[in-house]
Amino acid sequence: MTRRLKLTGQVVAFALVAGLLALLLWSVVHQKHAPGVGSMAPEFTLHKLDGPGTVSLASYRGKPVVLNFWASWCEPCKYEAAVLQRDWASYRGRGVVFLGVDYHDLNSDARRFVSAHALTFPMLEDGSGNVTDRYGISQVPETYVLNRRGRVVAHLRGPITDPGFADQFQNAIAKAAA
Amino acid sequence: MLRFLAVIAAALVFAAPAAACAHPRTSLNYLQGQVMCPTCHTTLDMSDSQAAQQIRLFIAKKIDACWTAKHIESALVANYGQQILATPSHKGFDLLAWWLPIIGVLAGGLVLAFGVWRWSRRKEPEEPVEPTDSGLDEETERRLDDLLARFD
Repeated sequence: MTRRLKLTGQVVAFALVAGLLALLLWSVVHQKHAPGVGSMAPEFTLHKLDGPGTVSLASYRGKPVVLNFWASWCEPCKYEAAVLQRDWASYRGRGVVFLGVDYHDLNSDARRFVSAHALTFPMLEDGSGNVTDRYGISQVPETYVLNRRGRVVAHLRGPITDPGFADQFQNAIAKAAA
Repeated sequence: MLRFLAVIAAALVFAAPAAACAHPRTSLNYLQGQVMCPTCHTTLDMSDSQAAQQIRLFIAKKIDACWTAKHIESALVANYGQQILATPSHKGFDLLAWWLPIIGVLAGGLVLAFGVWRWSRRKEPEEPVEPTDSGLDEETERRLDDLLARFD
């Protein structure tokens, strides 16, 4: 009886340790990494910021996409906004799509931000940050440039107004549109 | 007199918003401990990030507008999702977070009680041998009798 009890205890303890190890392994394997250049951009469907309805990334397949992550509380996003709007106006005629993803933000503040900076490209809301996490965003603003097949051409961690990024951004759009 | 009227007017101005609330006002301090900073994953009172400051300002405005704590929390959940709250909800999968610690403590208590019970059983002293009238056990007394018989 005692031996059986001891054996049961050992089996339960072993199963518990094995379970915890499996959980640790699963969390390590499923850590959210930013999709690298050349890999497919994670699919998503998000609500529009300025009204009802949703937008999915898949609906833009066949077009180059500039995916900009921002928030109204982010200071560099304010300086970047005007440049993004200017580039959008310049590239939209060439079939390039600009999408803004507002994350961890209050919708009311985000709408005020869009209005204050007169941004006219589609804006999506990701208040929970679920989509943003899948893109490995650690700070805003960050921008992805995707080619017509939905693959990542460039990932710029910082405002596109940064001197180091300005040329890189233009080159990435040219490459994505090719 | 003029000073007295000014004080009365000021008191009325500052008292008006408080008086407008039909229920006790919640506080920013209380809600800062209930709400998470979405970018730093700590409660709001432990963060000074821009996102935390934005939420703090939102809460302060809503408190001024007489919103209840529940109402403010609901508005934040609508914007940021359930994870904006520091405590998990009382339904679905989140229930595990409430029940697991209790189950863990109970299971630990059971294991401990079982261990103590077994330990105490192992340490039980053996039955003492009943002494005879002479104070010696039967075997010793018998051997002693045999020895003494040799001298008879």
